Amino acid sequence: MNGTDKLVRRVVTAGVLAAIAILLGATRLGFIPVPTPAGNATIMHVPAILGGIMEGPAVGGVIGLVFGIFSFFQATIPMFKDPFVAILPRIFIGITAWLAYVALRRLNEYLALVVSAAVGTLTNTVLVLGMAVWRGYMAPGVALTVGITHGLPEIVVAVIIVVAVVSAWKGLARRRHARL
Amino acid sequence: MQDFALLRHITIGQYLPGDSFVHRMDPRAKITVVLLLSLALTVNTSYLANILLLALCLGLIRAAGISLRYVLSGVRPALPFIIALSLMQLAFYGNPSVTSRLPVITFLRWGPIFITSSGLQLVLVSLARFVDLMILASILTNTTPLAHLAYGLEDMLKPFGRLGVPAQEISLIFILALRFVPILAEQLETLAKAQASRGADIGAGGRWRFWRTARAMLVLIVPLFLDAFRRAEELIVAMEARCYAGGRGRTRLVQLRMGWADGIAILICALLAVGFIWFRKSFPF
Repeated sequence: MNGTDKLVRRVVTAGVLAAIAILLGATRLGFIPVPTPAGNATIMHVPAILGGIMEGPAVGGVIGLVFGIFSFFQATIPMFKDPFVAILPRIFIGITAWLAYVALRRLNEYLALVVSAAVGTLTNTVLVLGMAVWRGYMAPGVALTVGITHGLPEIVVAVIIVVAVVSAWKGLARRRHARL
Repeated sequence: MQDFALLRHITIGQYLPGDSFVHRMDPRAKITVVLLLSLALTVNTSYLANILLLALCLGLIRAAGISLRYVLSGVRPALPFIIALSLMQLAFYGNPSVTSRLPVITFLRWGPIFITSSGLQLVLVSLARFVDLMILASILTNTTPLAHLAYGLEDMLKPFGRLGVPAQEISLIFILALRFVPILAEQLETLAKAQASRGADIGAGGRWRFWRTARAMLVLIVPLFLDAFRRAEELIVAMEARCYAGGRGRTRLVQLRMGWADGIAILICALLAVGFIWFRKSFPF
C-alpha cells in the first residue's frame, strides 16, 4: 500500500463515517430514550470511535469534528449552541479511542476494541459535561448525575456496536480475500 | 419508527435561494463574519452587550430576508427540555462567574436550592446567546449552498497547509459526508423495512426498557455500518482508477470571488467584535 492509496482510503472512510454520524443525528436514530431527566443516551459518537480504530487518529479526529459541527448547527438547546461544548470535545473522541486501541491491540484484539469503545465514549461524556460546567450551563452535581446515568448505558451500547461492526467487517474482508 | 419514509427526508441546513446582500456575499466572508460575532458572543456576559448583540443579529437576519420564525421553528419540540434545563441552571447555580457591575441579590436559599440575581443573569444571557447563535448558524446554512461553504472552508484552511493541515482533503471529507447522507438514508429505510418485515420491532422498547430498544436498534445500525464500508471500498477503487492523488495542484469548477462589499462587511464585524471583546467588562449592566 503506497502513500496516495492510504490517503484515498482515509479520506473516503472519514467521509462515509461522518455521513453516518450526521444521519444518526438527523433521523434521531442515534438517540436511545432512557428513563433519566436529560432524556436520551447517544450513539452518535460511535463513527468517530470506529474511524479512530480503523484509520488512525487523524480520521477519528476529523469525524469527531464533522459530528461536532453538525451537532452545533442542529442543536435546539442552548448548551449545544456553544462551540466549546458542541465541537471542541468531539475532536478528541477518535484520538483517545485510537490510543487505547493501539496500546492494547497486541494483547488481545477484542479487549482492545472493548476498551477503546469505552474510552472513546467516556471522552465524549466527560469532556462535553466538563465543558458544560466550565461554561456555566450546568452545576457540577447535575453534570455528575447526568454523566453516570448516561455514561454507563452509552458505554455498553457503544462497546456492543464497535465489537459487532469491526469483527463483522474484518470477517467479511478475510472471506473476500480468501475468495480472491 | 412508524413512518419509514421519514428517514429519507432529512434537511441539514436547508439552503433557501435568494438575492439579498447576505446571499451574494462570498462564503469566506460569511464564515469570517460568523466566527467573529460568535467569538464576541461567547465572551460577553453583561445584559447590555447581549441586548446589543441580539439587535445586531436580528438586523442581519432581516438583511438576509429570512424570517425569524423559520430560524426558530426547530426549537419548539425542544422547548420543555430548554425550560427544564434553564430552571435547573437557575436553581443550582447560585454563584456563577458572570461579569456584572450590579450587586448580587440572593432571592432564595433553601437546602441545595440557591437562586441569585447573577444566576438569573446567567440564564437570561445564555438564552439570548442561544437565539443569536441560531441566527448566525442560519446565516451560514440558509443563505449559502453547502458545497460553497466547503470550498470557502478549504480556501480558509489553505494557509495552514504549510503546517501540515490538508485543507483540500478536509473539504473533500465534508463534501463526501454531505453526498453520502441521502444515500445512506435510503439504505437505512430499506434496512428498516427489511427488518420490520421479518418481525423486528424497532424503537418499541420505550423509555423504561431502553435496553430492549438498544438491542432492537443493533439490527439496523450494524448492517448500516457494514453497507457504508462496502460503499467506501467501491468509491476508493473508483477514485484510484481516476488517479486521485490528494489536493496538490488540483483546480476547481467553482471559483470564489471576494468583492469590496465583502471586505467592508468583514472590517465592520471585526471592529465590532474587537470592541465587544475589549470592552466586555466596561458595560454598565
